[in-house]
Amino acid sequence: MHLDAGHRIWTDPWFLTGASLLGLLFCLAVFGPVLTPWDPYDTSFIPLDPPSARHWLGINDGGMDIFAELMSGLRNTLVFGLTAAFAGLVLGSVTGLFAAWKGGWVDQILMRLADIVLAIPSVMILILLAAFFQPQPWVLALTLAALTWPTTARGIRAQAMTLKNRLHIQAARHMGGSSRYIIFRHLMPELFPLYLINFAAKLRMAVFMEASLAFLGLFDPSLKSLGLMISYALKYYYMDIWVHWLMPPVLLLSFLIMGTTFVTISLERVFDPRLKTAL
Amino acid sequence: MLTTIKKLTVQYTEDDHALLALDRVDLTLAPGRITALVGESGSGKTTLGKAVMGLLPDNARVQGEIFLDQDNLLDFDEARMTPIRWAKAAMVFQNGAANLNPVHRLKYQVAEPLIQRGMPKKQAMALAGTRLTAMGLAPELADRYPHELSGGQVQRGLLAMGLILDPPLLILDEPTAALDAVTKSFVADVIHACRAQNKSVLLITHDLDLAGALADDIAVLYLGQVMEYLPGRNLLAHPAHPYTLALARAFPTMDAVRDLGGIRGDAFYRMVHAHAADNGHTHVHTHVAAPDAFHQGGHAPPEGCLFQPRCTQAIPACSLGSVDMEITPDGDHRVRCLRGGIARMLHFEQVAKSYGKVTALYPTDLTLMAGEVFCLVGETGSGKTTLAMIAAGAVSPDQGTRYFQGRNMDLWMKKEAASLASRIGIIYQNPAESVSHRLTVFEIVAEPLRIHNTAADEAEVKDRVRSALSDVRLSCAPEFLKRYPHELNMGAIQRVCLARALVHEPDLLVADEPTSALDPSVQAKVLKMLLTLQIEKGVTLLFVTHNIGLARKVADRIGVMSGGRLIETGPAARIINHPDHEFTQALIRSARGLIRPRAAASSSA
Amino acid sequence: MHFSARQTWLTPVLAYVAAALILAFLSHSLPRMLPGDFVTAMYGASDVTLTPEQAAGLRAQYQDDSGFTAFLGRIFCLDWGYSHAFLAPVSALFFDALPWTLVLMVTAHLLSSILGFVLGVEAAWRRGTRMEKAGVGIMTVLEGIPELCSGVLLLLVFALNLGWFPAAGAQTAYADHTFVQQVADRLHHLALPLITLVLAYFPGNFLLARAGMVMVMKSPFVLTARAKGLPPLRVRYAHAARNALLPLVTRLGLRFAFMITGALVVETLFSYPGLGTLLFNAIAMRDLPLIQGIVLAASIMVLGINLALEFVYILLDPRVAHAS
Repeated sequence: MHLDAGHRIWTDPWFLTGASLLGLLFCLAVFGPVLTPWDPYDTSFIPLDPPSARHWLGINDGGMDIFAELMSGLRNTLVFGLTAAFAGLVLGSVTGLFAAWKGGWVDQILMRLADIVLAIPSVMILILLAAFFQPQPWVLALTLAALTWPTTARGIRAQAMTLKNRLHIQAARHMGGSSRYIIFRHLMPELFPLYLINFAAKLRMAVFMEASLAFLGLFDPSLKSLGLMISYALKYYYMDIWVHWLMPPVLLLSFLIMGTTFVTISLERVFDPRLKTAL
Repeated sequence: MLTTIKKLTVQYTEDDHALLALDRVDLTLAPGRITALVGESGSGKTTLGKAVMGLLPDNARVQGEIFLDQDNLLDFDEARMTPIRWAKAAMVFQNGAANLNPVHRLKYQVAEPLIQRGMPKKQAMALAGTRLTAMGLAPELADRYPHELSGGQVQRGLLAMGLILDPPLLILDEPTAALDAVTKSFVADVIHACRAQNKSVLLITHDLDLAGALADDIAVLYLGQVMEYLPGRNLLAHPAHPYTLALARAFPTMDAVRDLGGIRGDAFYRMVHAHAADNGHTHVHTHVAAPDAFHQGGHAPPEGCLFQPRCTQAIPACSLGSVDMEITPDGDHRVRCLRGGIARMLHFEQVAKSYGKVTALYPTDLTLMAGEVFCLVGETGSGKTTLAMIAAGAVSPDQGTRYFQGRNMDLWMKKEAASLASRIGIIYQNPAESVSHRLTVFEIVAEPLRIHNTAADEAEVKDRVRSALSDVRLSCAPEFLKRYPHELNMGAIQRVCLARALVHEPDLLVADEPTSALDPSVQAKVLKMLLTLQIEKGVTLLFVTHNIGLARKVADRIGVMSGGRLIETGPAARIINHPDHEFTQALIRSARGLIRPRAAASSSA
Repeated sequence: MHFSARQTWLTPVLAYVAAALILAFLSHSLPRMLPGDFVTAMYGASDVTLTPEQAAGLRAQYQDDSGFTAFLGRIFCLDWGYSHAFLAPVSALFFDALPWTLVLMVTAHLLSSILGFVLGVEAAWRRGTRMEKAGVGIMTVLEGIPELCSGVLLLLVFALNLGWFPAAGAQTAYADHTFVQQVADRLHHLALPLITLVLAYFPGNFLLARAGMVMVMKSPFVLTARAKGLPPLRVRYAHAARNALLPLVTRLGLRFAFMITGALVVETLFSYPGLGTLLFNAIAMRDLPLIQGIVLAASIMVLGINLALEFVYILLDPRVAHAS
């Protein structure tokens, strides 16, 4: 079934659109600095200069090149998102697998812990942390991961529990396979679609959080971010800056979230409609 | 209300092809009669039930007619179907609890059709409660949610729900699957009660025991086509179509004595699709998807009987044209079979044999049906080997006529003895003696091919010998092929003999005490293999044994011989459970170890 | 069965109480973990200038070690500290802003839930038609646009360019309105933030309801309901949709973190005088007691809503109440 699904995913237009959007944005984030000669932190240009051949998207109020800023912001947003998503996925998968495999009181404790963490509105903790300590973005990304692992852990656990009782895994156990062998040879690979779905969903959530929190001014204002750019550009809405200053970060952010959304929805639809993880 | 289904065809379209679920099915459901629809899963049973209810999925294309009295339901749209559903025809679907909405209480769901048709809620709930109580569900059970009920309670609830509007037609889809025996018999009582109330009942089931016990009429479906219509009582005892026989043989009934046998081959579904043919035209056809059927471009649609690839009595004509329903000579059955139902493989009329003054066989009638396993049981010297060898064509009778596949055997033998012999394989009582010790294993098995010259060249001989040997689970390694019989043990030799008997794919296999010279452990193995091969090859087996216990495990029918006479024949279950003849009774008693115990004194002395 | 029924509601209650305590503990201890002198650390870079008495008061509040229990007591007595940026008690500011947020959030959730559910159910019913495919496509695209972006676009087009709606605030200040005019004025101000939020929440609800409904429609009990001769609307809502509602409620709780973030952004974007804007201003002015108070109070409200949702779920699905 998974082979078939693997084939179907590549013919799903939503997945293809989402994946190409994401691919394009990743390329921009990686190669962005090569595309522009300007340093995003260089403040030596004429403030609010409109777009020109030298400065494709013009200059902002602080005398910085907007295109260079945009590339740098995209990169920061993506790094934040990938860090949070990856850490959350690893944390959640390991916990979920561990709980499912151990069962008994280990499972009970871990799942009650998951219930508690799940109940805490993660954005509130992030606001508190950011407001008091102004930490580096990666600290916030890891905090976000530490607050969002339960959704993954629950999904992985539920699926691993059913897998654990499937005959072929029982058979592997009867053949004398060790826990280690069964987890690494059977359980983990079979959960692969779940990892994909969870990673995409978490990436989407983290990118959204980063942009929103940066917009609210909770991130280090000296670091470039798409959310922060929107927030600054909005201050000048009465000037004619929206085409080259406001819209680019808005569109880039939309494409980023759209790409992850399409990929998530398509993965969910193709791999198993019942594998519902939090969007 | 009379329900008449005429030429009902249902296709499920999927992308560029369609699955043919029902193919021109005719069925009449009369008041006061129970009609059962039996067949393997995927044969279209449930589709027929849903078609009557107008509940086929959107991708179903329906042709034909379904009349409830004068109304053709297939002309009705959803709005006109809604009032007919449940009031005229109700259905109890399969899979029990899944049919109940998990968020509503059972009683409410039973009462819902009443409320929908205008009965005040209170009154409807009260009536539903009464009906549920009548089905054996106490009031506190009726108020529960579906997940709080056991499988048996759910089924009782579903029956109450199906009967709440007193519909003249009740369709039951696998009503006893996964139920305990007590609930099963309760369901059977409910079905009987429906017949008594002059309702029509359509019983969809793969439980042949239930169908045979309950149904007045039975239709046997295979890949969407009705293969046989027969009276219920004949289902297990006297099937007329080879498919019905195969089904019955595969079904575990309380009466069955022989080990279960499957149906050879496999078929999944019928696919209708179109593709370009060699001549440039598009070409729409149906074919059966099976594990070994690969689709090749530009071929002609398979014609003929659907069951033919799996049938044990197929003749070339079976794969030519489409096959129509025909009434069997006794008039009780209608079968879709070119050969008019299960064919006679062998038929004896007053055949007798004497050796000098000793009469080995008194005039005897015997009929062997194609595809069956017939066991001749009797003591040494009862004439069973004589009868078997006459059947095998190895001994000629003094009087009487023998027919093999409908042809007079003696005339056939005179004209073309080889062609008759090539259709019959024989395994003998003593394997070591039945093979030449000068020949290698390869030469032994190749012998029939050389004799009948049926292999085109040496390569084909090798191929066929190898496949025959692997059929009997023997090695095909060159070293083994070069072995001589004395280098093998008895079990292996008997298997070589079996390979030899099967290498030219005979229609009849005569096995004379094939396992009596073997150790019990080897005997069990060889026997099991023999039965598997019998099903796979579809060969008719005449099995001779003195051991009625063995016959019980092997036979579809048993013939008991004593003193040169065939004293009793019948279905194995009947012979074993209710033997008529005294001698048979004694035989069974002794086999069961019920011989009168000796005096206790002998052991104390 | 009695025991398991109790366990059904006890588990979430315990989890939520624990979560609330953890949140309270964090907001109690985090300020104390700041290095050095609290007031210098916090207000050194702030827009707020403090008198020596105010500074002393703050020090007293954040550096006293009366302990966590005393802190909890203060939370319950609504003694959440004093905002030096707004020169008012935190609780007063909070309860001033709360009604505006409630109006916006409740309307947005009601609209998007009802709309999303009904349209999702109807879409699933018409599965495979061109309308449904188009609807799913549009909703998937909308689901990919964050509030931040759709809000900016709506603001630019309808408030700044076309001028159909006000760009900021929740009502026209100092206007001499009759009651009807006042309601109309407030609705006028509410429109853009509301539309932004509905656009953000509605597609998710729609897609979830549709997916749930598609799954439920394959269930045998739906076929049975049709077989019973029930009219289509009854089959669709009393039988199928009722079950499709369940995953929707579960996911609503999980999506809450998203939703609050979005609401904060939208309020800020439209300068809507709710909690989000208050929080934004507090952050901008680094007014710590205010940030702390809003975060804690809002979190507890969110916890309360999520807990209520758990109970709604138990009510909706009889299987949970009796599951072992």
